[in-house]
Amino acid sequence: MKYVPLILRNVSRNKIRSLFTGASIAVSLFLVVVLYSLLMVQDEMAAGAEQYNRVAVQNVQGLTGNLPIAYVDRIRKLSGVRSAIPMSWFGGRYSDEKTTFAQFGTDPRYTFDVYEDYKVPPEQLKAWQADRTGCIVGSLIAKNKGWKIGDKLPLKGDIYPVDLELTVRGIYDGPSSTDREMLWFHFDYLDEALKKKNSPMAGNAGIVMLRATSAGKIPELIEDIERAFASSDAPAKALTEKQFGQQFMEMAGNVRGFIRYTSIAVVVALLCVAANTMAMSIRERTREIALLKAIGFSRSTVLGLFLSESVLIGMLGGVVGAMSAKLLFELVDFSKAMTGMGWFYVPWSTTLAGVGLATAIGLISGIIPAWRAAQISVVDGLRRIA
Amino acid sequence: MSDHADSVVQLLNVSKGFFREKIEIPVLTNTTLHIPRGDFVAIMGPSGSGKSTLLNLCAGLDRPTTGRVIVNGQDLGELSEARLSKWRSENLGFIFQMYNLMPVLTAQENVELPLLLTPLSKSERRKHAAASLRIVGLEDRADHLPRQLSGGQEQRVAIARALANDPVLLLADEPTGNLDAASALEVLDLLESLNAQFGTTVIMVTHDPKAARRAKRLLHLEKGTFVQADLEALEATR
Amino acid sequence: MRPAGLMVPIKYNLRSLRSRKVGSLMTIFGTGMVVWASVFAFGLHAGLKHTLDVAVHPLDVIVLRQGSTSETVSGVSEAAARDIVALPGIATNRDGKPLAAPELVVIAYLSRRSAPGKANVSVRGAIPLSRELREGMKIVQGRDFRPGVREAIVSRALSERFLGLGLGEEFVVQDSKFTVVGIFEAGGGAVESEIWTDQRVLGQATNRTGGMSSVQFRAASKDQQQRLIARIKADEQIALQAITEEQYFADQAEQGKLIKYIGNMIAIFLTIGAMFAVANTMYGAIASRAREIGTLRALGFGRFSILTSFLLESLVLCILGALLGCLGALALGEIRTGTMNGATFAEVVFSFNFGPEVLLRGAGLAIVMGLIGGFMPALRAVRMKVVDALREV
Repeated sequence: MKYVPLILRNVSRNKIRSLFTGASIAVSLFLVVVLYSLLMVQDEMAAGAEQYNRVAVQNVQGLTGNLPIAYVDRIRKLSGVRSAIPMSWFGGRYSDEKTTFAQFGTDPRYTFDVYEDYKVPPEQLKAWQADRTGCIVGSLIAKNKGWKIGDKLPLKGDIYPVDLELTVRGIYDGPSSTDREMLWFHFDYLDEALKKKNSPMAGNAGIVMLRATSAGKIPELIEDIERAFASSDAPAKALTEKQFGQQFMEMAGNVRGFIRYTSIAVVVALLCVAANTMAMSIRERTREIALLKAIGFSRSTVLGLFLSESVLIGMLGGVVGAMSAKLLFELVDFSKAMTGMGWFYVPWSTTLAGVGLATAIGLISGIIPAWRAAQISVVDGLRRIA
Repeated sequence: MSDHADSVVQLLNVSKGFFREKIEIPVLTNTTLHIPRGDFVAIMGPSGSGKSTLLNLCAGLDRPTTGRVIVNGQDLGELSEARLSKWRSENLGFIFQMYNLMPVLTAQENVELPLLLTPLSKSERRKHAAASLRIVGLEDRADHLPRQLSGGQEQRVAIARALANDPVLLLADEPTGNLDAASALEVLDLLESLNAQFGTTVIMVTHDPKAARRAKRLLHLEKGTFVQADLEALEATR
Repeated sequence: MRPAGLMVPIKYNLRSLRSRKVGSLMTIFGTGMVVWASVFAFGLHAGLKHTLDVAVHPLDVIVLRQGSTSETVSGVSEAAARDIVALPGIATNRDGKPLAAPELVVIAYLSRRSAPGKANVSVRGAIPLSRELREGMKIVQGRDFRPGVREAIVSRALSERFLGLGLGEEFVVQDSKFTVVGIFEAGGGAVESEIWTDQRVLGQATNRTGGMSSVQFRAASKDQQQRLIARIKADEQIALQAITEEQYFADQAEQGKLIKYIGNMIAIFLTIGAMFAVANTMYGAIASRAREIGTLRALGFGRFSILTSFLLESLVLCILGALLGCLGALALGEIRTGTMNGATFAEVVFSFNFGPEVLLRGAGLAIVMGLIGGFMPALRAVRMKVVDALREV
């Protein structure tokens, strides 16, 4: 502890250098923390999904395969199922937007029973259930697009050859780990429009999402469901909500791998940068180090002094970088600029891991220079001029 | 004035002070000095007496607080920073106590360095540099890096560099300060013969009475003003 | 206007870099990693963009159901398809047949070879004329599929990435088995992410007889192209839309935007981080060479020469780093990867593109690092008072 003032003095002796090394680490750490948060939040959502005992049923051919709407009632009657809803991805375009967002045709009676973690005021729920052309939207997307209860939302069909004319009847909310950018509407409204057009696409539930009575029932339930539809026209596959989410990550391909490679490259670059700075700073202080040793500082104390110095700089850089990532995404809402990113945030665990990583970078990069400093011979060091 | 028409260096009523913590410390006060062409002047004095300041003023590395510095007919106060740089490259040669050779360049390349500032072609630069090295007797060390040379040799390369552009005035700041007796002797011989053979004006700041004795004239600086001193007096102090 | 002779010789800088070997190498390696990571991200986006851009004939048009943005969700009745093929203004081939092909696209759900999980893959039911619309396609292994049987040809990229798509292997499309009889290449492009088979066979296998996904055709001229597009749009009965293929893929490339944003974010942050590092290195270099700088000034080198000299030194460091980074990216060779095309929901396979443009952008970053990172230190070198600098030990 008595060395703390000495270490602080050394860190601040060349302010620009310490500042720049810290800044270099901070900026890069900011990036790594944001990139890794992308991975961590996905994992977190997948893990969080488990506690609600939900199971998704889809065609064995994958998400683009059909699942007849009649399956919903059959599944709901199975033992161990509390409730079940169709989730039919509409994929329409709102006004003249180029990209779509999550719009699902569902059964309003059970939607918020299956998704019990999503909250909607009872009178709004009733209003939605009573209006065939009504819809309920997430709080985040409502805020970003400026939708209020009573607003008309025209959706142009892309996948389906029909357009929908919806009215906002409710706004649901939920904790930050839930998707608050979805739109729910009556499946029946879509289906009737398709039937009127004689479209062969009518009667497709898309997927069925169910809520089991208990977690223990799920493995058995999955087997039951797959057996029940195995020999039908549309054989089904049941997945836990976590597996269902992983499926999307798998479809996205190697993106996770690329984020990892990039982060590794950043860390290696930082190691070089920080080690170089420490080496420069020690070279300049050869004489002082020799002096310290001349007046009786041991090798290990000198080693410790310099390691603490680089650890301190690394840690400070890490705190600034990781905390500004955390704060930025806490204070600024980016979902407005990019719909579909509303789920993103920087978790505390990733923030702290970032600080830890920066500290480790400080420590590792300091080892060789500090070790060399400890080896400096008193006689040579004192004689040296430059 | 007319009797000083042939002066290479004229300091007219020059004062110079430094600010330390907002307090001005005078170094030179109302100094006037004329050094005629072909002179070899040694300047002595205790540290802090203003020797180096005097040299820096002559080189245009520093500007006087008041007064004028005229070197080779040019009033240095009239030149901008950029013009001064160019003027130095054409008129001055520098010799430092610490030699100040570029550690990464060979002897030949160090000598060539000031020639890069002239319109000379590459082959002409080579020739000039080689000639300078021959004058200092180090033509066989042309490809050596400074760290491969002895201190005396390094200083001789530095002299060759100072000579390369044919300067009117050679400024030497403690040229023997870092050298052993034998090397110092070589360097002083060299300065003396340059002065004698080529008529180059030399101003040398030194602490060493032995070095000072080689000059034609000795100036003694004390607290910013010249005090009477001559070579005989120096001889007597010995 | 200063003559070139006023420059401090570059070899002075080069040798100074060499004399601080470890420090220079560390900095080069650091900037190299940064350039590498940026080039990697740029290459990913450029590769995806290249795939969606390449090999589109400017006169080609695709006809889809009104409102749909991709073939996989589009539908065109057989009757409407016949009408379109017969429209005047469509280019003809050597035999005088119109260059137009009604095609069917369905999705197969297949397992990856080297990674866990399954992905959607586009299967295209084609007619002989389809091939004339995609001149780049050629079979490099095996043979073409025969009409009327469940045979398919597969792009080399897909055959390497998915189980059942190797030559001679079998895969399943909605309960029907197909055999892979040939492997093709198309020099990049969207076709590189497709399986091709006979249109009628695919229709029967998937119960889609009578319905097509799209009609592709080549207009005889730019004018005809505009006229045909307008004409198809005007026919409200068939409710179809025609867009140029250029437009079609440009819309799909919107999907690549997220990758582009992330890539640019990576590059910008890393470059800023590297600037600080370069600045540190140069500050160190300048501090330890104060006396040399003072000497240069005393010899008559002006401030401008000193500034350029040190900026050059920092540029050299970064350009060496860029070289390392770019070589590192090239050394990875051809990396093929795939991701889900958000418009078609099907896997799009592409290669990282480390072309000259991508590498130059990496080098551009290095130049920015070198100039901005080197500027403040170089300025300090210039500002040094000669008198003080000469006294530095």
